Amino acid sequence: MNNKYIFGGIIIVIFFGIMGFLLTQTNIKYEENFVELTKSDATIKATGSWVKEKNYEIDRENNIFSFYMKDFNGKEIKVIYNGAVPNNFESSTSVVVTGKYKEGNFYASDILTKCPSKYENEYEAAKKTS
Amino acid sequence: MIGNILITFALLASVFSITMYYFTYKGYDNALKLARAAYHATSISIIGASAYLMYAILNHQYEFKYVYDYSNSDLSVGMLMSTFWAGQQGSFLLWLLLTALSGLALLEYTSKRGNLESRVMMVFTLAVTFLLIMVSPGLKNPFTLIWSDPTYIDLKNISQSFMSLPFINDFLFTDQSSGASLVLINEKLAGLLASNGISINDFIQFGKGLNPLLNNFWMQIHPPILFIGFAMSTVPFAFAFAALINNDYKDWVASSLPWLLGGMMVLGLAIMLGGYWAYVILGWGGYWGWDPVENSSLVPWIVGIAGIHTMLIQKHTQTKDHAGRFVKTNLILSILTYLLVLYSTFLTRSGILGEASVHSFVSPGMLTYTLLILFISTFTILGFGGIIYRWKYLEKTFSSEENVLSRELALFVGAVLLMGSAVIIISGTSTPIFGSAVEISFYNEMTLPIAILLGLLNGLSLLLNWKKTNEKTLFDNLKIPLIITFIVTLLTALLGGFNDIMAIIFLFSAFFTLVVNLKVIYKIAKKNTSYIGGYVAHLGFAFFMLGVIGSGWFSTEKQIELIQGETKSSLGYDFTFTGYTPIDNGKKYSFNITVLKDGVKNKLEPVMYISDFNKSLMRDPDIINLITKDLYISPVSYEEAKEASGGDHSHQTTLIKGEPFEFHNSTITFTKFNFPKDAMNSMQSGADFFIGAIIEVLHEGKIYTIEPKMESSSGVKTFEDAVVDGTNLKIELTNLDASGKIEVVINELNKSDEPAQELQVVKGASLWVDISVKPFINLIWVGTLTIVLGFFIAMVRRKKEAK
Repeated sequence: MNNKYIFGGIIIVIFFGIMGFLLTQTNIKYEENFVELTKSDATIKATGSWVKEKNYEIDRENNIFSFYMKDFNGKEIKVIYNGAVPNNFESSTSVVVTGKYKEGNFYASDILTKCPSKYENEYEAAKKTS
Repeated sequence: MIGNILITFALLASVFSITMYYFTYKGYDNALKLARAAYHATSISIIGASAYLMYAILNHQYEFKYVYDYSNSDLSVGMLMSTFWAGQQGSFLLWLLLTALSGLALLEYTSKRGNLESRVMMVFTLAVTFLLIMVSPGLKNPFTLIWSDPTYIDLKNISQSFMSLPFINDFLFTDQSSGASLVLINEKLAGLLASNGISINDFIQFGKGLNPLLNNFWMQIHPPILFIGFAMSTVPFAFAFAALINNDYKDWVASSLPWLLGGMMVLGLAIMLGGYWAYVILGWGGYWGWDPVENSSLVPWIVGIAGIHTMLIQKHTQTKDHAGRFVKTNLILSILTYLLVLYSTFLTRSGILGEASVHSFVSPGMLTYTLLILFISTFTILGFGGIIYRWKYLEKTFSSEENVLSRELALFVGAVLLMGSAVIIISGTSTPIFGSAVEISFYNEMTLPIAILLGLLNGLSLLLNWKKTNEKTLFDNLKIPLIITFIVTLLTALLGGFNDIMAIIFLFSAFFTLVVNLKVIYKIAKKNTSYIGGYVAHLGFAFFMLGVIGSGWFSTEKQIELIQGETKSSLGYDFTFTGYTPIDNGKKYSFNITVLKDGVKNKLEPVMYISDFNKSLMRDPDIINLITKDLYISPVSYEEAKEASGGDHSHQTTLIKGEPFEFHNSTITFTKFNFPKDAMNSMQSGADFFIGAIIEVLHEGKIYTIEPKMESSSGVKTFEDAVVDGTNLKIELTNLDASGKIEVVINELNKSDEPAQELQVVKGASLWVDISVKPFINLIWVGTLTIVLGFFIAMVRRKKEAK
């Protein structure tokens, strides 16, 4: 009877041990402050917005899409992504890029574009037509 | 008005029904009639409210904010109907409707089975009540009128025939960032319109429309099926709770089992339909991305499946005066299944996942957030509170027995493994609550060993007898299937070129369960086909595993450029891009690609378009189903044929009014717009018009003036190029902004007196595409359908048994 509980207990401990270990190994932090971002070399999900004024570049030969992204403080970083311009990119209000910061650039493995306010609270800055 | 009256009435009636069911349970038999009548009244009101919303959608009643926000007059009837559940408010109403309908069936079912009805319906109706509060005015109410909160809407959505109304000017605004003309809809305007005898439904001519990602066939069937699964998951909770009330744990398992089987059949189907949707339409490239929304409906399914297995043990170990084994486990799993449905709703509707998912989420507001928490807390306290309350009795009466080698033991271990995978997935999915996320590899690495063990265990369990099996019988039973599995796995691994040991073990596990289940089905089907449900479902699981191996380990993908008219070979296929065809009245473009392999010709037609809804480029993939594999193609970008000129001779920039811009040895200044008198009126009425941008170019001491124009013809904008005579510049206008900015591309043309730097190369139109070959992905769909079929057979059998 006791053996059963000891056996089950050990299995549970091992299971949670492995899961906890993998959770920390594959954990990705969200970062909204790009100053903090440049200090880390771990995989990060960086949230910010595309700097429209600086446009974006597409390098067809090497299949690279790059653009500038800024955080809420206005700090900018260059994002380099191996792939095509994601759906919705132009109209996005915020962008979440997953990747690593290395030598001045952010190398993204995934780009997620968000446009919630576009659909919900459109036209906040409306002004009376005179 | 009607909608909210119905919802409020339903809410009151549901509370009354709960009260009357409580009195019935307490022994006041007279109350039963009232309780039933009240539940029926609740359901009828909910049906009425839903029908009313559907009517409003079909008739474009944009006075309802929900109808304006999610639908549009140009949608087909089917798509229009599906806007019912395009937003949060409608989704909650759909969930409510399907829960109420399930309740009607449950009432009928329980009324025939002893004194179950009052206890079961009491707690079931409580779930209906919570959902009713959710759609009540002030919360996620689909009947909110558009003017109740002042809203700016685009002028183009307003019927132009009312633009001459004298008071309308007081409500016209301009959006500062986009320059769009807006109309402020508020109570005052609604009042003025009403006093002029104008219906707001006529005043607003168009809605915002449906998000293009949702605007396709699968939107019409996936969400309703998912919500049927959610609604049916309420039932096992109610049965478990009813058992706890009476402190009687014998019969509820038989009553609950067909419902749990049915609910999990529907939920499982819905989950994989979602995966299929993502695969064939949305172009995510696969059927499963461990996205939080997918995960959060998968977890209750896995827990429900674990519950089915342990409930089978309880049924099989029941005797005349013993409730059977795993009583506590079954109570916990039945309660947990519904709690996880609620938790899933919380994760996906509370805005917590805002940044973690490809699905767009909107924060629902504090009130809704609080109500969701209250909803989950109430059912957690009811469910687990009940178990804790009865724990002493449960512990004393149903102490566990010694586990011996038997089918019971195997089923239990299977349930434990399933729960392990549920814990893994929910842990990963919940990390956004703590401000982080996990990589996809977490799920893959953690669930793979569990899937392997599940396959092996399933095969093994079918070779075991109930109660007790001696090792010799097991060994005898095992010999032949094991030999067959070894041979098949070896052949497949060699022929298929497997080089990953995990893939080979996984393959072995899948074949083992396949072989054993086939053997059992063959044996049983001869006697009684109604008993094969479970084995058919496991056969489907084996197919599914094989599909995962094929598409997961052996998919190949590549991004290639296709030049119009030229043939390119990649991944063993010859692709020829022949041009594009406008479809949907020129709103979308279908790209025609011919694929040739071994003399067999196929056509692929991926689609790209700029959506009016979000002004973004949308891409629809196309797939050729080659039975043993899919050839998947997703468009990336398209460039028109052009004359290649030196790259740095072209420059894209934004010119601000009055600010000079230096380009090589010229100074370019945008001075003003040429805004013809009638342009403003034309713009508002949607007629054709043009706006010119006057640009001065200072070149070698001379000033040249050009005026490229933006022309709008039946809503389509075109931009002009202008060559600056006397210089080597060509200026292409690409966009204008009313605030005083224009976007241009400045091209430096080769001067005729200079020797040509290089021959002008003419390049054909080029299309970039992602191509991918996915072997045996069809087994995923075949497996899913087989699982559903198995569930169905099992459900029918268990319903017959549940007397």
